[in-house]
Amino acid sequence: MNAKKQLTEGLITNNPVLVQQIGLCATMAISTSLFNGIGMGLSVLIILTCCNVVISAIRKIIPEQVRLAIFVVVIAGFVTIVDLVLKAFIPALSESLGVFIPLIVVNCIIIGRAEAFSSKESVFLSFRDGVFQGLGYTCVLVLMCLFRELLGSGTIGGGLLNGATSMVTMDGTGAGFRIIPEGFGAGALTLPFGGFLTLGVLMAVMQYALRKSNEKKARKEKKEVQQ
Amino acid sequence: MKKVIDFIKPAVILLLVAAVVALVLGGVNALTAETIENNDRVKVENAMKAVLPADSYEQFADEDVPEALDALYAAEGGGWVAQVTESGSQGNVTMMVGVSADLTCTGVSITSSSETAGLGAIASQQSEKGDAFRSQFVGLTSPVAVDKDGGQIDSISGATITSRAVSTGVTAALDACADLG
Repeated sequence: MNAKKQLTEGLITNNPVLVQQIGLCATMAISTSLFNGIGMGLSVLIILTCCNVVISAIRKIIPEQVRLAIFVVVIAGFVTIVDLVLKAFIPALSESLGVFIPLIVVNCIIIGRAEAFSSKESVFLSFRDGVFQGLGYTCVLVLMCLFRELLGSGTIGGGLLNGATSMVTMDGTGAGFRIIPEGFGAGALTLPFGGFLTLGVLMAVMQYALRKSNEKKARKEKKEVQQ
Repeated sequence: MKKVIDFIKPAVILLLVAAVVALVLGGVNALTAETIENNDRVKVENAMKAVLPADSYEQFADEDVPEALDALYAAEGGGWVAQVTESGSQGNVTMMVGVSADLTCTGVSITSSSETAGLGAIASQQSEKGDAFRSQFVGLTSPVAVDKDGGQIDSISGATITSRAVSTGVTAALDACADLG
């Protein structure tokens, strides 16, 4: 299994959100501003990578009967570490994401990757899997945030860019860049059902693109067989 | 004999993993606890300064805090700041209410809430609409109510329940401070 294949899987062909359709709850709940999206995406990426590495490292001593319990203990440990660190050093992000950071414990991306990948593969492959799957998750979150924030509140980069004191801020006060004048945004998109709509559209686009590329591949193979 | 070991081994391994995780968490907690406490204190102080500026605040002991309030602070130079929690439309709305010595509201600031984004959430936002909503409470005396209930507060459109929760909270704070004398 090479790095390129793992990267394509994480980002596109086996993307955790758009193809595996796991971890949807938090995706929909927090993807309303770029600050949230990047913060949540990176938190998941870090936790997923750490969990993958640890679980893969101890995979040979994990007894089959209690493996899920051990996965959950390890995941809960890393989530709590990230939660505490965020609270201490980036309090604005911790407040903005609220309960969704502790809820990463039950995010099925992490336990899903533990069960399907890192409990079977080597530490190095699991590390790469964590980074790439985490990137795939972050990309989808950022896409959804850009879309919902632009159409819903009319800004880009809310919370993160264009702060009171500097261009890029970590205190969550950034106003973002206003693209659509205030009052003209479709506020509904920032509500949960706007999340469903956005995610639905993204999934449809993804499925369409995947089908096209599969058809192309199939045609190519057919041609080769005929020759 | 083999059966007993089959039972014990998974339990011991699970126990070991949990113990290691607990140790690590203890360490991280020790490293971050102080910073987190500091952050929380700064946040509470900023919220208090926003509703009733004063040089220092003295916190009431738990048994002296009226039942309707979460916490109560006496501001230096007269007046109180009360922390009140009311239920909003999506969950609890916690706010700081400033009360002057002559029992008028000097300001309200929402410290935590989980109201609907774009509707109820406006009440806690640092935006034009949010400031306009909260500034209505300044100078009012008890009872405070939203226009729908025959009161003087223009509720945020689409967020009557949130507006009502804030009004109830402010009323509770004013009444509790009136009882203090």
